[in-house]
Amino acid sequence: MQAPDGILCAKTHEYLLQKDSVYKFGITDYAVEQLGDIVFVEMPEVGTEFEKGEILGTIESVKAASELYMPANGKIVEINETLIDNPELVNNSPYEDGWIVKIETEDEKALNALMEYEDYQEFIEE
Amino acid sequence: MENLKKTPLFDEHIKLNAKIVPFAGCQMPIQYTGIIDEHKAVRENVGIFDVSHMGEFFVEGEDSLALLQKIVPQDISKLSLSKAVYCQLTNKNGGIIDDLIIYKLDDEKYLLIVNASRIDEDFNWIVSNKDNLNVDIKNASDDYAMIALQGKYSAKIIEETGLSEDNQPKRFSIKETRIDSIDVFVARTGYTGEDGFEIIASTDNIVYLWNKFLEIGSKYNIKPIGLGARDTLRLEAGMLLYGQDIDENTTPIEASLNWSVPKDKIEDYNGKNAISSQINNGTDKKLIGIKMIDRAIPRHDYEIYFNGKEVGKVTSGGVAPSLNANIAMGYVNNSLNFSTGDKINIKIRNKFYSAEIVRMPFLKYLR
Repeated sequence: MQAPDGILCAKTHEYLLQKDSVYKFGITDYAVEQLGDIVFVEMPEVGTEFEKGEILGTIESVKAASELYMPANGKIVEINETLIDNPELVNNSPYEDGWIVKIETEDEKALNALMEYEDYQEFIEE
Repeated sequence: MENLKKTPLFDEHIKLNAKIVPFAGCQMPIQYTGIIDEHKAVRENVGIFDVSHMGEFFVEGEDSLALLQKIVPQDISKLSLSKAVYCQLTNKNGGIIDDLIIYKLDDEKYLLIVNASRIDEDFNWIVSNKDNLNVDIKNASDDYAMIALQGKYSAKIIEETGLSEDNQPKRFSIKETRIDSIDVFVARTGYTGEDGFEIIASTDNIVYLWNKFLEIGSKYNIKPIGLGARDTLRLEAGMLLYGQDIDENTTPIEASLNWSVPKDKIEDYNGKNAISSQINNGTDKKLIGIKMIDRAIPRHDYEIYFNGKEVGKVTSGGVAPSLNANIAMGYVNNSLNFSTGDKINIKIRNKFYSAEIVRMPFLKYLR
């Protein structure tokens, strides 16, 4: 799977992708591959503020429930409501239709600490 | 994974791009194409499973029946030739050492299929019950491998291997026969809730049979099925998983397996006093079926609440791909006298989600 340019990845396998003034948040293709069939995504309410490292939601595959971690201090400005009825979009299209929430953040320090996709590839191969 | 056993079909799983995980000391396929896809293949067409990790014991000799009567609550004296019966090995307290299927091969010979994780435990226990009985107990688990064919086209596939419909074993029966001159046991049993077969053959011949079934099955859209879908299929069918839903601290009565414990069995068996007392006086806990009302997925170890109080725990739970529902089973405090339709709550990540008690098997009552 081709990841879009400019993607930033966390060690916990979430990604951020800047779109205008906000960041799309989702899970990487590697995470999708590891989890298998996604059957449920629990998302926070719009407007909730989280600190970096806090649990913002949960993604559930047939096998297990996995927590989603906030990659930077910020605020949830939109959730992907289509995932409520179609969680499999995360499997089919993790970087486009399967984005999970949109985040507003000015946490440059945390953003700089995220990995570019190439470095992330090296990280997961380790 | 170096110290783990491989089944004789391991290389076939790799060829089929299986994702491999350790299970019961064995390297087993958890999925090939995806759990939901595989699950639906079994419900709609047919699936093939490697279940070679499971254990095969032969009990043979003039006192075979006497030994079996001692070790399971089921009444094996009522088992007809070539029939199969689901039962439990119970300890002195009525706790379940394992659950198994006993097949009657002839009056003095029985085949026992046991769980992979319990092979040694079971074998030692059965041998310790032998006393002076004239019976030979053989653990043949390393000599035999097993394939399950499950789903509505499984009988067609068996037919095309040369076993006409009239010659196939009926539901819950077994037949010793040959497929392409290979000696096999063909049993009409399974762990999915569908019509299906379990084929037991020597480890040397199992790769040949696997590929033969796959080849014949291709016109029925057969798919190889991993442990992931095996779990969702058995959960929908309301079948218990040893080590998760039942163990030595649960009895067949607590596990709602009363249908497999005849009240009128004359012979004594391990745990009979405890089990009889539970039949007559009831139990402290009872396994129930649960269907979520709210949108949330119940899973192993989640707490069950009723009127704001914790009353039990989920033992198995998850999505039911063929029922469009999220389901679970678990033990609840039996003094509350729960019945079908009662509303309960499941605590998931510190929030309470509404659910109701439903009859099992889910597949029968919710489909």
